[in-house]
Amino acid sequence: MDPHILHQFIPVAVAVGVGTYLIRSLSLVWGSRLAWPAWLRQWLAFVTPAVLGALLGPALLLPDGHLVLPWHNPALLAAIPTAAVAWYSRNLLFTVLAGVVFYAAAGYLI
Amino acid sequence: MKKRVSVAPFDLLRGLKDAVPIILAYFPLSITYGVLATARGIPAWACDLSSVVMFAGAAQFMLVSLYTAGTNPLSMVATLLLVNLRHVLYGTSIGPAFARWEEKHKWVAAFGLTDEVYALTGSQALEAPPTPAYQFALAFSSYLSWVAGTVLGASVGGAVPAAVASALGFALPALFLSLLFNQARHRSQIVAAATGAAVAVLAQVAGLPSFGVVTGAVAGATVGLALATTDVRDHQSWARDDRTRLRRERAWQRGSE
Repeated sequence: MDPHILHQFIPVAVAVGVGTYLIRSLSLVWGSRLAWPAWLRQWLAFVTPAVLGALLGPALLLPDGHLVLPWHNPALLAAIPTAAVAWYSRNLLFTVLAGVVFYAAAGYLI
Repeated sequence: MKKRVSVAPFDLLRGLKDAVPIILAYFPLSITYGVLATARGIPAWACDLSSVVMFAGAAQFMLVSLYTAGTNPLSMVATLLLVNLRHVLYGTSIGPAFARWEEKHKWVAAFGLTDEVYALTGSQALEAPPTPAYQFALAFSSYLSWVAGTVLGASVGGAVPAAVASALGFALPALFLSLLFNQARHRSQIVAAATGAAVAVLAQVAGLPSFGVVTGAVAGATVGLALATTDVRDHQSWARDDRTRLRRERAWQRGSE
């Protein structure tokens, strides 16, 4: 077995699991007791779209770590109809299924 | 106000019933996770363990892609916790509905406060603040579905053809697009996402991929907030949301007095 599984994958999974639990529990416990400053909550509200953008940007524009022209890039082509489905359906599972089908179709056409 | 009488078995059943759409959504998604992770060389037991300890779909898919890209473990942890920082919003915004709960119950319920469980709890807490029995049934039946799907996906993963596993790889960007456009309906949020994307792409082109997500998130959130506070039209659309949120919080506080 790849030693990275024991030395990297598992410790990272456990650390993120514990960290996520602490984020969820401390914010629920504090949220049930005190009011947070409005500006901080509003800034946090923008972290979510910003993180998602930061994850999507390289995944769609630099699929193999370098720039790929749009008409040779099935991920970018599939992202356009997938984004439309996401916007109009607001349905997680449906969007994921549609995205996988669009991606397979884009790969087939290119 | 009239005293809310709650019967635990009834609340358990109600929680299970409300969990059905989440259970149905989690099961195929976690099968996909199991198939994808094992197709990228992660052993089934490690994949199962990640679902047991994390219970955070987007972060788990991301863990697999960061891990297979050979990212440094510390920046993996930083990136994934930053992704999950959005949960701060969930706890702080629905917290008032849990004000009457015993402390230990809050610590248990918090484990299952995923995006979907939060969305469901938040939409109903206005009418009736959740009881522990209801919330536990909702959260932990969703958790069982997530873990069971992962185990199933990881155990059949090797039998899935390469072409199908490759197409499933797009499940992750599709999940992110869905999470993004479920929430980002204001111009300032779209600009925050675009700024985050631009910074992350530049960081990767500059040969610093590990810093891309963190700097992109901070830059994007700051630009988004700045735009929201200066752009009049954007400000008005946020103010509408704020009034809805305030009404909801006042109703929760009345309910918990």
